[in-house]
Amino acid sequence: MAEMPAVETPQAQVSAVLTQSEVKVTSGFRGVTISVYGAVFDPEGKPADVVVTLRGPDQPVRIARKVRIAGVWLNSRPVVFQGAPGYYHVSSSRTLNDLGRFAALRQLGLGIDHLAIAAPAERRTETRYGIRDMVVSSLGADYYDWRSAVVRLKAAGGLYAADERGVRFVDKGLFRADIQLPAGAPTGRYQAQIVLFQDGQPVSVRERVLTVEKAGAERALYLFAHERPWLYGLVSVIIALGAGWLASRLFRRS
Amino acid sequence: MDLYLPIAEVSVNAPLLVALGAAVGFISGLFGIGGGFLMTPVLVFLGIPPTVAVASESNHVAASSVSSVIAYSRRRAVDFRMGAVLASGGVVGAIIGVEVFRFLLLLGQADLVVSVSYLLFLGAIGSLMLWESLGTVLRRRRGEMPKPRRDRRPMWLYALPLKVRFPRSRLYISIIPPIVLGLGVGILSAIMGIGGGFILVPAMIYILRMPAGVVVGTSLFQIIITTSLTSMLQAGRNQTVDIVLSTLLLIGGVLGAQLGARASARFRAEELRAILALIVLLVGLRMGLSLFINPDDPFVILSGAG
Repeated sequence: MAEMPAVETPQAQVSAVLTQSEVKVTSGFRGVTISVYGAVFDPEGKPADVVVTLRGPDQPVRIARKVRIAGVWLNSRPVVFQGAPGYYHVSSSRTLNDLGRFAALRQLGLGIDHLAIAAPAERRTETRYGIRDMVVSSLGADYYDWRSAVVRLKAAGGLYAADERGVRFVDKGLFRADIQLPAGAPTGRYQAQIVLFQDGQPVSVRERVLTVEKAGAERALYLFAHERPWLYGLVSVIIALGAGWLASRLFRRS
Repeated sequence: MDLYLPIAEVSVNAPLLVALGAAVGFISGLFGIGGGFLMTPVLVFLGIPPTVAVASESNHVAASSVSSVIAYSRRRAVDFRMGAVLASGGVVGAIIGVEVFRFLLLLGQADLVVSVSYLLFLGAIGSLMLWESLGTVLRRRRGEMPKPRRDRRPMWLYALPLKVRFPRSRLYISIIPPIVLGLGVGILSAIMGIGGGFILVPAMIYILRMPAGVVVGTSLFQIIITTSLTSMLQAGRNQTVDIVLSTLLLIGGVLGAQLGARASARFRAEELRAILALIVLLVGLRMGLSLFINPDDPFVILSGAG
């Protein structure tokens, strides 16, 4: 590798756009498909792989394990996992482990296995195997079970997904990826990351931003409920009592 | 037609919810209960977060109860004085209940306590009601005389201080038992997302010995006060009342309640009680079952802020 030509080879570049940069959550919202279009510019024409991730705002996850005590299933003490995105979708042109080196994937946090989901409150340092200050989770050896449960349960709600054939090259150097955003996806600022891989290394990265926000009546009601909660409660009670009264009036006449 | 709920943050089928509200409203009018014990589990089953279901449901119960109470009060079947005494306990209970619910959410044990409460209270009351009403139905079939009602009221009710006259219930008793009863039902109302009519009604008949004619109307009157307060508190403290959800439910609910109240005239009281007992028992067992069957997934994501 050291014997490279003296002339600096122009690096391959990736560029991409989202079909929409804003998603409005209104009363009819049933989820949406976001498409990412992009192109790979590489004068040398080396084989290229693309990974597209869409990451929603962080949402700590509280998770408990069901334990059976005296024949009854109870919840264990809940554990909080910080750093878990509220939504995460990764699509790639090949299996992630085939197209990129482990270290590169880990560093960029690409792929569900490499998400930095941790339970910091549950960690402590201690001396183990003669090594000082090892970070140990008090979840112990089960730690992997807990983490994979977070991923599994999120995936069941369509909030975490991986699509290993999701990035399709539609023409030479042109690619496309479709990403499903379910109705339950959290609102907030989403980061889309488009990474070009060559020879197992990330060569070029693009970032795009997507905002998902409530709009119209949904937004107004949500803000009302959170900014003036007591007045909101009063209004909801008045609606309930009024509707009950109205119904009895209507039926009395008929 | 799907509708996105702004607080629950899920998309639901609007006509389905209106129909559900109407069905539960019908049952509520038919039996003179709020119907919360039926609706809350159904909402959770439909994927609405339990916290939002419990809070929004108390709003729906308030609406159907108003609709029926007006009908009952025209028949002079509401003891407003007794209702107010019950409600004074209920108000304190609701405040305690909402705080307890918050605490349970933080502990991650809210769904456990809800399941256990359903199993215990619905199971016990359903079985008692079923036993009692089936006995009455069978005796009628065999042509036996109905058992003379023991009119001896428990002595401890009379030994307590603070006696008040309740003319419409023809009672002169201490206000302590109704206040304690209201308190207990208020707490359960906030935790289980129910009105508590199915607990209040038997308690008023068998413990307070109120005349059967005023029991249902009075219980509904007290339920209006407690559930209205519960909704206020849930909205103010937890921001979990979904106004769109509760409005959908109560549109169907108030109409169904009126139809149910009319239909109730066609059935015998003890047959209605037997059917209600069966429904209560089944819901209680179904909710309690989740404690015993092996979970699909050994882990569960807890709702509510971390």
